Amino acid sequence: MVYPTETLYGIGAGATNSEAVKKLTEYKNRPFGKPYSIAVTGQKMAEEFVELNETAKNLYKEFLPGPLTIVSRGKHKVATGVESENGTLGIRVPDYKLVINIVKKLGKPVTATSANASYKKRPYKISDILDNISDRQKDLIDLIIDAGELPHNEPSTVIDTTLDDPVTLRQGEIKLTDKNEVLSRSEEATQNLAKELWQKYEIHKGKRAIIFALQGEMGTGKTIFTKGLAHAMGITELVTSPTYTLENRYSIPDTRDSLYHIDTWRMENAEELKALGFEDLIKGKSVVAIEWAERVADIIREFDDEAIIVWVKIEFGKGKNERKISWGVTQ
Amino acid sequence: MRILAIDTSCDETAAAVTDNTKILSNIIWSQASLHAKFGGVMPSLAQRMHEERIDWVIERAINNSQLTINNLDAIAVTVGPGLSIALGVGIDRAKKLAIKYNKKLIAVNHLEGHVLSPFANCEYLVSSIKYPALGLVVSGGNTVLVRINKIGSYETLAQTEDDALGEALDKTARVLGLGYPGGAILEKMTKMGDSKKYTLPIPIVGQEERRMFTYSGLKTAMNKLVESEKPLTQEKIYDLAACFQDAAFTHLVRIVRFILTNDFPQKPSTLLVGGGVAANVQLRDRLRKLGKEFGISVYFPYAQKLTGDNAAMIGIAAYFKAQREEFTDANKVDRNPRLKLQIYYENPVWGIQSQVPPCFSLHCCPKQ
Repeated sequence: MVYPTETLYGIGAGATNSEAVKKLTEYKNRPFGKPYSIAVTGQKMAEEFVELNETAKNLYKEFLPGPLTIVSRGKHKVATGVESENGTLGIRVPDYKLVINIVKKLGKPVTATSANASYKKRPYKISDILDNISDRQKDLIDLIIDAGELPHNEPSTVIDTTLDDPVTLRQGEIKLTDKNEVLSRSEEATQNLAKELWQKYEIHKGKRAIIFALQGEMGTGKTIFTKGLAHAMGITELVTSPTYTLENRYSIPDTRDSLYHIDTWRMENAEELKALGFEDLIKGKSVVAIEWAERVADIIREFDDEAIIVWVKIEFGKGKNERKISWGVTQ
Repeated sequence: MRILAIDTSCDETAAAVTDNTKILSNIIWSQASLHAKFGGVMPSLAQRMHEERIDWVIERAINNSQLTINNLDAIAVTVGPGLSIALGVGIDRAKKLAIKYNKKLIAVNHLEGHVLSPFANCEYLVSSIKYPALGLVVSGGNTVLVRINKIGSYETLAQTEDDALGEALDKTARVLGLGYPGGAILEKMTKMGDSKKYTLPIPIVGQEERRMFTYSGLKTAMNKLVESEKPLTQEKIYDLAACFQDAAFTHLVRIVRFILTNDFPQKPSTLLVGGGVAANVQLRDRLRKLGKEFGISVYFPYAQKLTGDNAAMIGIAAYFKAQREEFTDANKVDRNPRLKLQIYYENPVWGIQSQVPPCFSLHCCPKQ
């Protein structure tokens, strides 16, 4: 069924109906593995199909119905191929009465994907669709609801909330041989502490991998700390945030070793750290600084024997530039 | 010159066919392009996903160009900067295709692709641009301002000390509970917000002579402000988004203005802007205004699809390299995850080394 929404013409198939979804995939001429978002009537119906975390609930409350697709963990109650490979599902609550009424009447969600075949023009009117598809594709459509030319609004924006799922934080289980704490009042002081820590553990370099597992909220200065480590190692290259590339490598001058600066913030699960070749870094006795280490604590701890693991926790202090920094090594 | 270009520098799997600076096809498989299709979100990491998608994306790019691989003159591929294992996938395919079909191979710097992206389908600019010009890349992974002495010869004037601009916007969106990546939705929110509602510190005000971009301090200040404003309402989210974006752009423009004022006795003719944040309408307005102030023409890629990571821009950069005969031996091409955009050596004998002069290899990077 082709139907109008507040953004584009969408194509709907019963999202719980495997046969309908199969037909849709044939129509869209999509490659493997691309998921579909689904249209529901509101938060209550959404919760039958996905787990809503705090972030998602807030977004539903403030912005739906509206041109947003909100991605959450799916409950695997839709037909195969609707959820993504890793089990997430995008939900739309269109700000368009007709769609809401259709879904309400049907009692089940319909897919909310644009009605064009993949990589064709955005459909604002029915001819945008029909002029760009084959006869075979046309045969797959059972119903077209023509509301004329729609206002040329942008497609819905996709927001992924699954990154905000609570991480399995097992800090309590990490037994440290010693616990140290200082108050840093400036970026320089944080960098100096990093330098001291490097000097303390440098003796293990080349014998075992050294991991600086950095924990702390956004903006506490994990990258600043790593800059300090790099300086201490004699690295003159500019150390910048690895969030986007996930991993940056800096050669340590006059040695064959490198500092690997890793950021797990964008990673969907801890396994992705392994996919980056983390094990090889450990075997290669590298020096590694990992931001958001709490997200991958379990994997880091698998290497307790092979590596010196220095857990560093940075927290905001009372004053504007103050940071409480605590650290210790695993037993 | 018809080029098949491949880019797998980070999340996006991209391939394109270009003819000189004209785009014949431009295929991107990414989370960002799925925004345009009501799609879902793809797993973010990298190698396995690229492996699964790359052949389909390349085939699609060639098909959509209405050419066959035999009609193509060369194959271009991004060799850096980017995520090592991701880069490897594209390079491996490019290499195999070049050998199998006996095509010349061109190794391209991803950043040069962004700098030259405004040339796409813009004959006029290609023929009229005068040097020196300025290039600005504002994306999720990079924020860098360069002097373009001529195409292929660049000097870094300022770059980010910590977070890239796009990254700062994405992270702030997340702090506001808008998910990830949220830079694009943050922009939508700013349109409904009041950018004067809160005061955020503009980074390194009065110290513009440091010639750098920095967003970590602003990000931290924003975190604290958001914490103090909780619980967030729709209106607060709009205002906070507007204030942050305003401060972030003000900083960017101040630095560019300082450098224009102090480092260019002979004013550059043109500012080329590329990268994902170049799609932001407010940033475009501000940079155009700045351009007017200095009598500089400001160019952006003609389509939003060319602002984010894509392979068409790689094809364009490759075309200019081909004109300089900077080809690379397919058996020797290798990735360089931390490749910089700097003065290129013009000796074509070095092949890929022409992009990475010996003194600029991974093992001895001088401070810039």
